[in-house]
Amino acid sequence: MLAAQGKLGYHVELDYQAASGLSERERALDDTVLSELLESTHREVDCQVCYNLMLDPVTTYCGHTLCRKCLARVLDHTHHCPVCRRGMAIPPLQQTRSNVTLVKLLNGLCPDAVAARAEAVFEEEREGTGDLDVPLFVCTLGFPNQLTFLRIFEPRYRLMIRRALEGNGEFGMLMYNRYLEPQGDLGPVHFYHYGIMLRILHTQTLADGTNLVESRGMYRFRVKAHGVRDGYGVGNVERFDDVPLAEEERIEAEETSLPAAGEGDMTGQINRMPTCALVALGQDFVTRMQARSANWLQQRVLDVHGQPPDDAALFPYWFASVLPISEEEKYKLMGTTTVRERLKVTASWIRRIESQRW
Amino acid sequence: MTAPLPKRIIKETERLQSEPVPGISAQPHDDNARYFDVMVEGPGGSCYEDGEFKLELFLPDDYPMCPPRIRFLTRIYHPNIDRLGRICLDVLKNNWSPALQIRTILLSIQALLGAPNPEDPLNEAVAKQWKENQPEAIRTAREWTRLYAKKG
Repeated sequence: MLAAQGKLGYHVELDYQAASGLSERERALDDTVLSELLESTHREVDCQVCYNLMLDPVTTYCGHTLCRKCLARVLDHTHHCPVCRRGMAIPPLQQTRSNVTLVKLLNGLCPDAVAARAEAVFEEEREGTGDLDVPLFVCTLGFPNQLTFLRIFEPRYRLMIRRALEGNGEFGMLMYNRYLEPQGDLGPVHFYHYGIMLRILHTQTLADGTNLVESRGMYRFRVKAHGVRDGYGVGNVERFDDVPLAEEERIEAEETSLPAAGEGDMTGQINRMPTCALVALGQDFVTRMQARSANWLQQRVLDVHGQPPDDAALFPYWFASVLPISEEEKYKLMGTTTVRERLKVTASWIRRIESQRW
Repeated sequence: MTAPLPKRIIKETERLQSEPVPGISAQPHDDNARYFDVMVEGPGGSCYEDGEFKLELFLPDDYPMCPPRIRFLTRIYHPNIDRLGRICLDVLKNNWSPALQIRTILLSIQALLGAPNPEDPLNEAVAKQWKENQPEAIRTAREWTRLYAKKG
C-alpha cells in the first residue's frame, strides 16, 4: 500500500516506530490472552510426578517430560517410563540435557511462576524438615579423619546421597542399635545417638544403579531430635568436640597424682598413666603386632586406613578402624571428650588382648 | 516429628474433593493426611452391585515413588481379595507408576470388582469355587454384599 502510494521510505534502511500507542485497554487484553493461554496449557506443563510446573524439564526417548529431580527419583526405583512404561535407556542424568525448547518457552511465558517454583523446590530441599536438616544414615561406625566406604542401593538412600551432593556434601552416619539400648533423651531408638559427620569425597554409580560412596569422617555429633524425610532419617544434631587443652592437662595432672593402684587393678593402673605413656603403649603395640605380621595390619588394610597417625588425638580412631573387635566396644570412643579418655579406652583393649595372648 | 506433606499429596486430595469420582470417595484423616477412609460402590451389573465397600488407604513416606497401601475393611467374597482385605492387583505392586494416582487406583479396584480374575487368585478357596461353580460363587458374593456391604 505504502509502496503503491510512493510513501515507503526507501531512502532509510529501517523505519521503526515505537509502539507507544498501546492503551490501557489493549494492554489488559494482552494480559488476559496470555493468562488464558497459560491456564489452558497448565496441565500440559505440569510434571506428572510432582504435580507442579516442570522445573528443569528432561524428555525421555519415549517422548515424556518430567522435572529433572522427579526423573532422578523415578530412576532410583525403576528404568521404566512412569507415563508409558517403556524402558528408559537414558544416559546418567548429569549428562542428559534439559528440554531446551520447553525451558525457553516457560522462562519466556511465565518467568514468575518458574522462579517461584525454583524457590519452592530450594526451600523444600533445604528447610523442608525445619530443624531436622541433617540427613542421617543408620549403618555402621565411622571415625573422624578415617575413610568410610559405602555401597548405597536402596532408592531412599540414593536420594539422600544425591541431595547431600547438591548441598554441602555431608551427611551423618549412625550405628545401628540392635539391642535398643536407651539413648539419653531419645529413649530406646534404633540407632546410637553419637554419630559421625561424613564428607563425600567421591561417588560412582554402577550399571545396576547402586552407588559407591567414598567418604571421610569430619567430626562427631550427638542427635538431639530425629525424624523421617522421604523414607530416610533426618535429624537435628549437635557437634561434639574435645574439651580445651588446659582442661585436658588439668584432668591428666589430677589422675596421675592419685595414689598408686593395686597390682590386679588394670583399670586403675591405666587411669594413672600419663597421657604420653598411653600414646607410647598404643604405638608400641602396633609396632610389635606389625613385626608379628598380624593379619589386621596387612598391607591392604593400611592401604585403606593409612599408617598409624602421629597425632595422639587421632590415633585411637585409626586403631579402632583397623582392630578386629566388636562395634559396640569401639563405640566407647564416640562419646569421649578428651584425648586422654580415648587413649585409656585403647589401652584397655591392648591390655585385654595381651592378657588373652600371654 | 514428620516432614511437611508433599505438594502432590495436597493437590491429589484437593482434586479428590473438588472433582469427585462417581461411586468413589476418599477422605483424609484430620490427624494424618496420609491416611484415607475410602468408600467404593460395587459396579452396576456386578455381584457387588448396591454394596458400599470401606477400604483404608495409606500413602507411604516415599509415595508416589511407591504405591499406596490399600486394604478392604468390609468383608468381600472375591478371588483376588483375601480374608485380611489385601488386594491382588498389578498396579498396586510391580506395575505401579508414579504417574498413577489415588483416583486411578480406586478406579482400578472398582474395575476389579466388576471383573474378578480367578486365574490369578489371592484367595484360593474363593477362586476354586469361582472356577468350579461360578453361579454358586456369584450367589455367595451377592449374599456377602447384602450382609456386610449394605448401604447406609
